[in-house]
Amino acid sequence: MLNMLSVFSVLRRQFLENNCLNVFLIMRRSKNCSLFSLLRTSLKELVYENTTKRGLWLSASSLVHEDLLLHPGIPSNFCINTRSFSIPAKRFARASNCRGLDHHDFPEFRVLNRFLCSSEAGSGELPRCWNCGGAAVSPGPFLACGLCGSVQPVDQSIDFFQIFGLERKYEIKDGNLEVKYKDWQKKLHPDLVHSKSEKEKMFAAEQSARVIDAYRTLSKPLPRAIYLLKLEGVHVDEEKTITDPDLLAEMMDIREAVEEANDSHALNQIQTQVEEKFEKCSRSFEQVFKMHDFDNAIAAIERMRYYDRALEEITKKL
Amino acid sequence: MLRAAGRRFLRLGLEHRAPTAAVAARGYHERVVDHYDNPRNVGSFDKNDPTVGTGLVGAPACGDVMKLQIKVDDATGKIVDACFKTFGCGSAIASSSVATEWVKGKHMEEVLSIKNTEIAKHLSLPPVKLHCSMLAEDAIKAAVKDYEAKKAKLTAGNAETTQTEKVASA
Repeated sequence: MLNMLSVFSVLRRQFLENNCLNVFLIMRRSKNCSLFSLLRTSLKELVYENTTKRGLWLSASSLVHEDLLLHPGIPSNFCINTRSFSIPAKRFARASNCRGLDHHDFPEFRVLNRFLCSSEAGSGELPRCWNCGGAAVSPGPFLACGLCGSVQPVDQSIDFFQIFGLERKYEIKDGNLEVKYKDWQKKLHPDLVHSKSEKEKMFAAEQSARVIDAYRTLSKPLPRAIYLLKLEGVHVDEEKTITDPDLLAEMMDIREAVEEANDSHALNQIQTQVEEKFEKCSRSFEQVFKMHDFDNAIAAIERMRYYDRALEEITKKL
Repeated sequence: MLRAAGRRFLRLGLEHRAPTAAVAARGYHERVVDHYDNPRNVGSFDKNDPTVGTGLVGAPACGDVMKLQIKVDDATGKIVDACFKTFGCGSAIASSSVATEWVKGKHMEEVLSIKNTEIAKHLSLPPVKLHCSMLAEDAIKAAVKDYEAKKAKLTAGNAETTQTEKVASA
């Protein structure tokens, strides 16, 4: 028992220090079944924690695979994989989880020799699925794997515009948003991963929440404008009080008019007026944003927010 | 039928108890509700009145607008009356209402020392609503500043007219 634990800790350290060769030697030396199980679980954990060290994983798992053949005493439910962690050892030749890819065809075997000596796979490569190891094949953000359908962990560097495949600008064609949003939810919704692992359930919850956020932010002009500025690194300071007399006096008048208006006709009139002002502001925001004039952009956003609030009040009253 | 009547009695009893429990658990503090239900000092003074200072402030985060007006006695520099008009959430309305109550009868310099933290404590405002009390503090300062600016313009105007009169008479 002690022997196993010490071997395990050494193994872990070697993984973390990125030392391939020693890892392989240790694993080769072990003839113990339980150690193999330990190795398998530790491999899974370590791979998940250190997904950039893909080269390590590939070579290590291939070696465990090879050693499997040398150890006929291993119980048949020992699970090993080069792509998925759930292929039973007996069926790895068919590799049913991975759409019929035969183990002989795994490209990892071809690059095994290269990875034996190298320490790390390049981190600038395409993101890979945590479940099946498949690379992101289709264009677009990698939120769910195209090969095995597993939901991926949230990548904060993918911004909302990328999720919907839009350019990062203020004017967007509105019609597409809802369709794309529903498409994404068909792949990411938590209800679909009801029977899968806890990890994947968590990914699905976070990923679909992010898509909902993105949809809500981009579908309305004001949040879209604020988000655009945020992406440029400009923070709209919300706590500051403003004392611009013209804007405030104008808003006071509008709000008082809304309070006093008693019939829907008058309210509708005010509504059209405020909507026009909002449109004007919105267009001016677009222009100043294109010119990267962020001070004026913030001012435009403030005005838009006031008009938006007035419109909310009118809608409430109607 | 008797059972239905009995149930109705029980439901009445429960309803009587439930609202107070709900208010205690979460929601606005009773002072805020009080200011909202029984508004005091709501109104407007004449903006062009030389004894009136108007503070108009806004919070861009929530689109709130707050107007606070003070009527100052020129001779003593004391605030004799105050009124407010606020478009915003309950906390903003309550904060400005409290502000108008506190400035009445005080000296102008004194009211500048009213801090938003005091207002927030008085109303037990949650952290997310602290900016409402900040708005009220800013409104007081803006009103005082407006009054002083008016006074300065008036004295400058008076000085000019007396000068022109002297020139005319000379």
